[in-house]
Amino acid sequence: MKKIFSLLAIAGLTLLIGCGKPSENSGGSSAGASSSGGGKKVTIALMPKSKGNAYFISCKKGADKAAAELGVELLFDGPTDPDPAKQNEIVENWITIGVDAIAVACENREGISTALRKAKSKGIKVVTYDADAQPDAREFFVNQATPEGIGFTLMDEAARLCGNEGEFAIITASLTAANMIEWQKHIEARRSSKYPNMKMIALRPCDDLKDKAQSEATALMSANPNLKCIMAICSPAVPGAAEAVKQAGKTGKVKVLGLGLPNENKRYVHEGVTDSVILWNTEDLGYLTIHSANALAKGTLKAGDKSIKAGALGEFQVEGDSILLGKPFIFNKDNIDKFDF
Amino acid sequence: MKRHFRELSVAAALLLVLLALAVLAPAFYQPQPLLSLLTREAPTLVVACGMALVIICRQIDISVGSQFAVCSVAAGLLAANGWPLPLVSLASVVFGLIMGAFNGWLVAGLRLPSIVVTLATMVTWREALRWLRQGQFVNLPDGTQWLGLSQLAGQCMLIVTAVVLLVALALATKHLAAGRFVYAVGTDAEAARLAGIRPQLTTFSVFAFMGALVGLAAMMNVVQSPQVDPKSGSGLELKVIAAAVVGGVAVSGGRGKLWGVFVGLLLLACISPALTHLRIEAYWEKAIQGAIILLAVVADGVRNRKETV
Amino acid sequence: MNTEKHGFKAALFRHETVLLFVVVLEWFYFNSVGPRFGSVDNSFDIMRHSVEIGLLALAMTPIILTGGIDLSVGSLLGLCAILFGKFWRDVGMPIPLAAACTIGVGALAGGLNASLITWLRLPPLIVTLGTFSLFRGLAEAITRGVDTFTNFPASFLFLGQERWLGIPAQAPAFIVVAIGIWLLVHRTTFGRSFRAIGFAPEGTRYAGIPVERRLALVYVLAGMIAAIAAVIYTARLGQAKADAGMGYELFAITAVVLGGTSIFGGVGTVQGTLLGVAAIAILNNGLVHARQPREVAGMLTGVLLILALASSILPKILATWRARRQTSLNKTPVTT
Repeated sequence: MKKIFSLLAIAGLTLLIGCGKPSENSGGSSAGASSSGGGKKVTIALMPKSKGNAYFISCKKGADKAAAELGVELLFDGPTDPDPAKQNEIVENWITIGVDAIAVACENREGISTALRKAKSKGIKVVTYDADAQPDAREFFVNQATPEGIGFTLMDEAARLCGNEGEFAIITASLTAANMIEWQKHIEARRSSKYPNMKMIALRPCDDLKDKAQSEATALMSANPNLKCIMAICSPAVPGAAEAVKQAGKTGKVKVLGLGLPNENKRYVHEGVTDSVILWNTEDLGYLTIHSANALAKGTLKAGDKSIKAGALGEFQVEGDSILLGKPFIFNKDNIDKFDF
Repeated sequence: MKRHFRELSVAAALLLVLLALAVLAPAFYQPQPLLSLLTREAPTLVVACGMALVIICRQIDISVGSQFAVCSVAAGLLAANGWPLPLVSLASVVFGLIMGAFNGWLVAGLRLPSIVVTLATMVTWREALRWLRQGQFVNLPDGTQWLGLSQLAGQCMLIVTAVVLLVALALATKHLAAGRFVYAVGTDAEAARLAGIRPQLTTFSVFAFMGALVGLAAMMNVVQSPQVDPKSGSGLELKVIAAAVVGGVAVSGGRGKLWGVFVGLLLLACISPALTHLRIEAYWEKAIQGAIILLAVVADGVRNRKETV
Repeated sequence: MNTEKHGFKAALFRHETVLLFVVVLEWFYFNSVGPRFGSVDNSFDIMRHSVEIGLLALAMTPIILTGGIDLSVGSLLGLCAILFGKFWRDVGMPIPLAAACTIGVGALAGGLNASLITWLRLPPLIVTLGTFSLFRGLAEAITRGVDTFTNFPASFLFLGQERWLGIPAQAPAFIVVAIGIWLLVHRTTFGRSFRAIGFAPEGTRYAGIPVERRLALVYVLAGMIAAIAAVIYTARLGQAKADAGMGYELFAITAVVLGGTSIFGGVGTVQGTLLGVAAIAILNNGLVHARQPREVAGMLTGVLLILALASSILPKILATWRARRQTSLNKTPVTT
């Protein structure tokens, strides 16, 4: 009796689903409305690599500013657990909701492209920012700096701090993060072409945890007494490595540099532990991303354009399908206090 | 000797690893990195002691990582708001106690299975913290790190605290009635009840105590650096359960020695720096960890099989 | 004993009804706040996003019925996914052969769990905790952390992304497995023995049932189903990575427990598990439509789980109180 009831219940549920509203060409209709400059509010969906990451929160601040200026509705959501499929699921939900444009920082280059291609086919405009997807899955990539620029700047700074020779180690977030893998390639390319006397002796992941980065840095220093520099390319790792150097009493002997947020590193920069923190203005990145997505949705940005105007920030160069924020910015003792993010 | 066979075999395994390191990578044995390693692991040891008690009591608590994060962030925020540090420490312990008591109420009071209860609380607290904090670090005021003492003094203080706690708990479980109750309830709750022990109260207390220990550990972690990462404590539950299991605590309850847990924790904590020193790639870490857990467990099983045959 | 059985049955009956009620409530609520929530497109999205977890939950149900648990299914999904990619790309196997080999690997991995649990009589929680690390670690080691497998042929990706005869292509596989597990658990003597084993393992052994063989079966089966889920996952995502399926085991356990299966074993149904999967999937999907952040989904799932647990215990507690009141009333002396 109970089983029959349960089976009936499941059958009834399936019928309910079947009787749901018929599928509309959601993406198509809203894209049509927006490109005609229609009265409907443009909806832009913004996704970070993962939620709970201070870097993306500062991007969101800029995005919020842009959304307020442009009068668009901004949806912000992202995965809270590490499974690669989660970004895809959220994108697919947004497709069903019928947003006008999607801006994604891609954790998995190939995986997310599957969902983004689907969005494109439904008429939704797609841009990527911070970390790219496959080129055919999106219209433009809002790049804070080219991966080449980031890799080269990191390597150049490291070489400068070490006098162009010596051993260095890299701490990354996880071994599978696509954009970090790309940066490492460029770091290596720069090293082999310009700084052959510098050796990269280890690559350790810190799982995006400051404490783990600290442990890794401690072990690296004790295993490699000739280590001259630690390059931390994931943001929690920069203060983590700095703390490790400080506690080891090797301030000044082992240089620390990396990609990190100013607020997390001000203390160490002033104490002389960390020399350079390389980043870009993340708020501007978010701001530019929303402006680009909006311009795409409204039709004012098209393939082949050479520049785009983004509100208060002015004009930005467009190289092919990359919208460039600019060059990586180096925060150091002299300027880090001017920034608050 | 036979009684302690399990724990001694883990100690032997640890000695083997340490010997191998001495031969292959003597650079491992420098005072400062070792001191740093021990200091980093001191909070984990505190939590592992609590987890051992929970497992001996035939329960499990997979929410400790989330509890740790919540206590750390709460303590950090209080410190940043100018609260005096002793009060902050107390507050951290109290927050942990409250979360542990909540778990304990659901498990002991409502008789719900601990794995599912702590799964639910783990997810709820972690997501709530993430929602509130959005990944932002908490910057601590000067004087918080090492409680204002010098680095060496601070590190020694933390290590001593953890060891004192370990010894105190080991003695308590052996000599205090309350400690024996935990073993009794873990072995056979019904028999314990008939003997006059109150199993539900014991279970509740174990969870609440676990929470308090997590709060203490969180504070011990907070004072080690000038910032609090809201993601701290990630993976903690796996670490301490593995340490307990490798150290000889039986998941079926009623068996286990705290010093075995200590040895188990040291063994597992050595893996990562050992890999760095031996120049083994980082991606072997998880596989090796899993292999050690399985080996320890299989050794248990083989011994049990021999005994029952 | 008869009344107890009725009590259990009654509680279960109530549990599934309540869960069904919750699912329907979720459906109507999200329909009201999200205009496109009820559309066929979205319903198929819900289905497609929950197939892998649904498969793992189905695999987990017989295991939990026997009083065991398998924490390694998520990691096994990751390992199978990259091995599938490796078989296809590096060994050069055609897709169907690669899939078959992957299922074989899944069976072997399940066999590892099974042998440790049945032959060495080790607690499933600890064995699968070890294999949880080991499988994920092997996946990371084989790919050296960085290798991913992509560029699968379109005919394969069809399985995860397109529709076949109007429904999502992976649905038939899911339905087949669901029906298979349901038949196994509810219609075969094998399945009846699972509940018996969960309820009283020693008694079952004395009754002449080969407990070890039955247990081995459920763990090997779980391994194979995890492999199937891995293949579908790769087709859906278009990429096989070492961190695939991270966290899935906890989702699966949540779904099974939500569905009324007791973690102690002996009580539970497959239809309950399916309802549990539906409840979580609709919640996750609906909250995006309701413009709520992801974290809310996590928190609500945790709360829902506790409520589900409490509700199944409530009848027992009420009965105990009632009994105690009755005895105290009986004790009251009749005054003259």
